[in-house]
Amino acid sequence: MTPPPPGSDVHAADATAEDASASTERTSIRVYEGPVRVWHWVTALAITTLAVTGYLIASPLPSVGGEASDWYVMGYIRFIHFTAGYVLAIGWLVRIYWAFVGNHHSRQLFTFPFWRKDYWDGVVWEASWYFFYRRWPKKYVGHNPLAQFVMFIVFTLGMFFMIITGFALYAEGAGLDSWQYALFGWVFDIFPNSQSVHTWHHLGMWAFVCYIILHIYAAVREDIMSRQSMISTMISGERMFKDNRDD
Amino acid sequence: MSTGSETFYDVIRRHGISRRSFLAFCGLTATSLGLGPAFAPRIAQAMETKPRIPVIWLHGLECTCCTESFIRSAHPLVKDVVLSMISLDYDDTIMAAAGHQAEEILDEIRQTHKGNYILAVEGNPPLKDGGIHCLPGGRPFVDRLKEMASDSQAVIAWGSCASWGCVQAAKPNPTQATPVDKVVTDKPVIKVPGCPPIAEVMTAVVTYILTFERLPELDRHGRPKMFYSQRIHDKCYRRPHFDAGQFVEEWDDEGARKGYCLYKVGCKGPTTYNACSTVRWNEGVSFPIQSGHGCIGCSEKDFWDNGPFYSRLSTVQPFPIEGNADAIGGTVAAVAGGAVVAHAAASVVKHAADKRDMKNERQAQADKTNG
Amino acid sequence: MTTMSTPNGFSLDNSGRRVVVDPVTRIEGHLRLEVNVDDDNVIRNAVSTGTMWRGLELILKGRDPRDAWAFTQRICGVCTGTHALTSVRAVEDSLGIEIPKNANHIRNIMQQTLYVQDHLVHFYHLHALDWVDVVSALNADPKATSSLAQSISSWPMSSPGYFRDVQTRLKRFVESGQLGPFRNAYWGHPAYRLPPEANLMAVAHYLEALDFQKEIVKIHTIFGGKNPHPNWLVGGVPCAINLDGTGSVGAVNMERLNMVSSIIDQSLAFIEQVYIPDLLAIASFYKDWMHGGGLSSTNLLSYGDMPALANTHTNDSLMLPRGAIIGGDLSTVHEVDLKDPEQIQEFVSHSWYTYDDESQGLHPFDGVTDPNFVLGPNTKGDPSTRIEALDEAAKYSYLKAPRWRGHAMEVGPLARFVIGYAMGRPDFKEPVDATLRKLDVPITALFSTLGRTAARGLECQWAAHRLKESFDALMANLKAGDLSTANTDKWEPRQWAHSSRGAGFTEAPRGALGHWVEIEAGKIKSYQCVVPTTWNGSPRDPAGNIGAYEAALLDTPLHDPEKPLEILRTIHSFDPCLACSTH
Ligand code: HEM
Ligand code: HEM
Ligand code: NFV
Ligand code: SF4
Ligand code: SF4
Ligand code: F3S
Ligand SMILES: [Mg+2]
Repeated sequence: MTPPPPGSDVHAADATAEDASASTERTSIRVYEGPVRVWHWVTALAITTLAVTGYLIASPLPSVGGEASDWYVMGYIRFIHFTAGYVLAIGWLVRIYWAFVGNHHSRQLFTFPFWRKDYWDGVVWEASWYFFYRRWPKKYVGHNPLAQFVMFIVFTLGMFFMIITGFALYAEGAGLDSWQYALFGWVFDIFPNSQSVHTWHHLGMWAFVCYIILHIYAAVREDIMSRQSMISTMISGERMFKDNRDD
Repeated sequence: MSTGSETFYDVIRRHGISRRSFLAFCGLTATSLGLGPAFAPRIAQAMETKPRIPVIWLHGLECTCCTESFIRSAHPLVKDVVLSMISLDYDDTIMAAAGHQAEEILDEIRQTHKGNYILAVEGNPPLKDGGIHCLPGGRPFVDRLKEMASDSQAVIAWGSCASWGCVQAAKPNPTQATPVDKVVTDKPVIKVPGCPPIAEVMTAVVTYILTFERLPELDRHGRPKMFYSQRIHDKCYRRPHFDAGQFVEEWDDEGARKGYCLYKVGCKGPTTYNACSTVRWNEGVSFPIQSGHGCIGCSEKDFWDNGPFYSRLSTVQPFPIEGNADAIGGTVAAVAGGAVVAHAAASVVKHAADKRDMKNERQAQADKTNG
Repeated sequence: MTTMSTPNGFSLDNSGRRVVVDPVTRIEGHLRLEVNVDDDNVIRNAVSTGTMWRGLELILKGRDPRDAWAFTQRICGVCTGTHALTSVRAVEDSLGIEIPKNANHIRNIMQQTLYVQDHLVHFYHLHALDWVDVVSALNADPKATSSLAQSISSWPMSSPGYFRDVQTRLKRFVESGQLGPFRNAYWGHPAYRLPPEANLMAVAHYLEALDFQKEIVKIHTIFGGKNPHPNWLVGGVPCAINLDGTGSVGAVNMERLNMVSSIIDQSLAFIEQVYIPDLLAIASFYKDWMHGGGLSSTNLLSYGDMPALANTHTNDSLMLPRGAIIGGDLSTVHEVDLKDPEQIQEFVSHSWYTYDDESQGLHPFDGVTDPNFVLGPNTKGDPSTRIEALDEAAKYSYLKAPRWRGHAMEVGPLARFVIGYAMGRPDFKEPVDATLRKLDVPITALFSTLGRTAARGLECQWAAHRLKESFDALMANLKAGDLSTANTDKWEPRQWAHSSRGAGFTEAPRGALGHWVEIEAGKIKSYQCVVPTTWNGSPRDPAGNIGAYEAALLDTPLHDPEKPLEILRTIHSFDPCLACSTH
């Protein structure tokens, strides 16, 4: 394998010869449009908030003393949860809209090429990279197949699940005559006892916690170890490749 | 309807109640049912002309607490319901006849009041092995139930047994106890869940049907909306303590004595649709929460398998590992976290090794080119 | 078989005409009775069959032992609470948990309240119609009824006008042609002996008792939040007491206590001025109907209940005595130990369950509940059409057959009263002697259907007095400054031993009730209930001993086998609860 040739033209004011020889030729592609990026970070914040407040809804903080009317601890925690829930849900609607009008990368999150063999080959390849069988991964403009797998199964489907169950629970408080109940009341046809909706919604939180752990780890790791940019991509929208090899 | 039957109005009149106070009563009924005074004449008319509607009350697998609750009704008094409002022609728990004389009543009512009687069911049929775990009259209850339902006007499923299955249907449901609406599919089934339901809720459902000559409006699960459209938690008088964050942390602690919220000791009020926190029990004397114990969710489907009763989080059923959402989720998350740390460490090692190898390879390549 | 004699001294002959009563009504649950009558219509063979089973013992496996009370409470809504109390006691015994004094008093109050209400309802609503002819009441003279009522009691509602109103209501009801729950009964049966006036009085009180019973249970509502099925707690009671601190409204406070006290007073008045006088008046017309003794003159069992001292379960603390009488020997009251593997055992040779070795009984700690519905070769009919007659030589009931040291036993109010009597306890002896005197019958009259019914009435009165005492004891303890209602030292499963087992007991209204629990790793490993009606309604055991129901039905002449009123009388005197018996 040939080491990449030194970059020929480094047009930087302070570039030295050494810098020039250490440079590689890189490509940058615009992948994530503004709305996708904004949505990503808003969602990240919302989900973190939802997980923390959700946990506290199920296992409240130690009791406060004094008059009930002096406090609204549970009330605020739940209010924050519901607000974040609305942010999450509205964001999700916007994101779905953007999948129609945005670039083709904006659609990847909602697609799952289950029937394509080359997709599954890619999953195997990426998995083998994670199992240290390969020295480097392939490059991808969008998500790598393994990431797509996890994002679709855990995130996309999970997101629908959490929003649906969350709003179904919300509908119980809003009342049987509310629009929330009209839209989400059918959840109770599947789980007639609302306690089981709580249980599944709660388990969903843990699925998200696991997803977030793996997601952030993968983002940081790939940022360092893969052949392309990751975190900055979700900030700037630009995908940068560290080399121009075509394997 | 058989002739010679007296009407509710006759009954009331012979109690010595004047026509004037009868009409006042109808007005009161209309108001208390939220219908407004305009409905009073309709109620009066209904009561003046109707003979008492036959009610057949069957028992399957059950504990009879629904009957016991029913006889606690204070308004109306159960004696007035039985003597003056309905014709309770069959109820094994209180009826005078027994044996074949009792069985005959069922066949008689089926024929003479075809399509006109109400079938009230307490308990439920077990279906396993053809229903041999409940054999009143020497035959499976499920057969009798279907037969009586087929000629009824409507079916009332009393209590959580008839509505949902209740305790005998809790896992592993050894007899395959099955809710009434799963075996009676050709008639409207009104579920009045609760273990047992509140007495006045039971009598109100019956009197509603008699008075307005229609079935009450039902929710998506077949429960009368008038009593089951809100959760215990929505109308619980301890709710301000919940919102404030003031909980009973342990039995008989300071918070328990002050009447704090029972959420942390497992109250299922937030997930239970029933009228306890408003109608209350036994003429409004109290309800579970008011007497210091959390709601166990006794009107909800499978509440027995959504316990334990003293924990906010339920044991998660379909998983092989025992535990609640936090135990299961927390374990999985900890495993994921651990895996990430291990993977990160391995990655660092591997990365360093690759770098070294790459350097060596590059060196070798360079040596080869130079050499 | 045509004739045979049982080890417990009865002779059975199933050659005569078979009479089947199914459903037996005015009981709880599903009971079937089959008897053979000889040419004189005297019962010569009796078969008692529980026809329902739910499997609660299996459902309890793997659950949190602190939840068990709620499951077992749903064994029965009639004796509501007694299974729950038995269950929390079993779990506390297993885990070594002691309860506070207030909790003990409140539990006694709950149990005594149940006695008062359950016995009252049984007498008027489940049993009275075996003795009282509702239709005959139409012919009564209200004035004469009034003087009858006033001659036996000072109960205020006894004017001629009052009885006339009741009679008018009844008349219109009957004339309506819609007899409701009174339809198709044995009205006019010659075995009814009350004069119309006594019938009218009883009907009036049937209605009054129906109104009043719902008041009694409000005591359950105060401490347990609802009735039926109030709430209980392992380690104490769930209701906190707060007499004058912040938040006292909503806890047990002066207002709640006053309500309890007032209900107790009303209950005492109702029992002493209505129930007891009615009971004696009715009994006086049936003094010579001395059938239905069964096992009552021989084998009686009681586990005892209502400890005056918290956590002390010996006879010097138990208000209801513990003991067993064998072979009618009233001079010896045997000690009863629920944990002794030799004493209480259940057999299934004639029950729809299976054991590895059905010739042996199993102590509940080793108990097995494994359903097995099979019918004997001589069964007539089958469930797909209708079972016409069971084959009692084979398995024939969902009840197991519990035995105490191999003996079939009778349990219930009569057993408790006889045991208390034999122990010389004045609170049992005096009312029994006084009643026998009043009715002018010998002590042997106790061992009969009427004796059982009378004992229940006396026990209702007894319980109302103890209720007042328990309330006073609670008040005294509160006055001494103790407000504690729950012990949470061992609330958390991590504080429990890895494995443990225990037995809980009560005297349920219908008799001795025991639960046996084994706990392992914080979960129920095994749970067994042996219930009063399992004792009384028991089928035969491998040795051929018959149970109390079967024994009590023997030798009773039926006036008309088509209308077996006499069977109902005797069976109702036990107050059968079949949901309890099979669970
Ligand atoms: C609650 C927290 C988070 C959630 C739920 C979340 C979710 C997601 C989702 C759904 C995508 C796919 C976006 C798309 O295709 O439209 C994504 C991409 C990405 N996220 Fe997150 N994210 C979270 C936090 C973070 C954090 C903290 C980082 C940075 C350390 C991060 C870095 C990235 C990166 C780099 C990508 C792009 C991956 C790629 O290019 O294939 N995320 N994230
Ligand atoms: C990823 C997103 C979410 C997470 C991680 C999350 C987490 C949780 C958790 C852990 C609970 C406690 C469940 C329990 O009772 O055991 C909860 C409750 C709840 N969540 Fe969410 N949730 C999310 C999204 C939503 C959304 C979108 C809504 C919609 C408004 C919502 C509404 C609710 C409601 C109404 C409750 C019940 C509150 C109560 O019982 O007082 N959640 N959530
Ligand atoms: N047999 C019985 Fe029960 C009682 N008493 C309970 O243990 O009735 Ni339902
Ligand atoms: S619903 Fe509950 S109270 Fe009613 S019969 Fe069933 S177990 Fe008993
Ligand atoms: S006690 Fe139960 S129902 Fe009442 S506010 Fe608390 S959680 Fe809700
Ligand atoms: S346990 Fe049942 S009685 Fe009411 S408060 Fe809960 S629904
Ligand atoms: Mg048992």
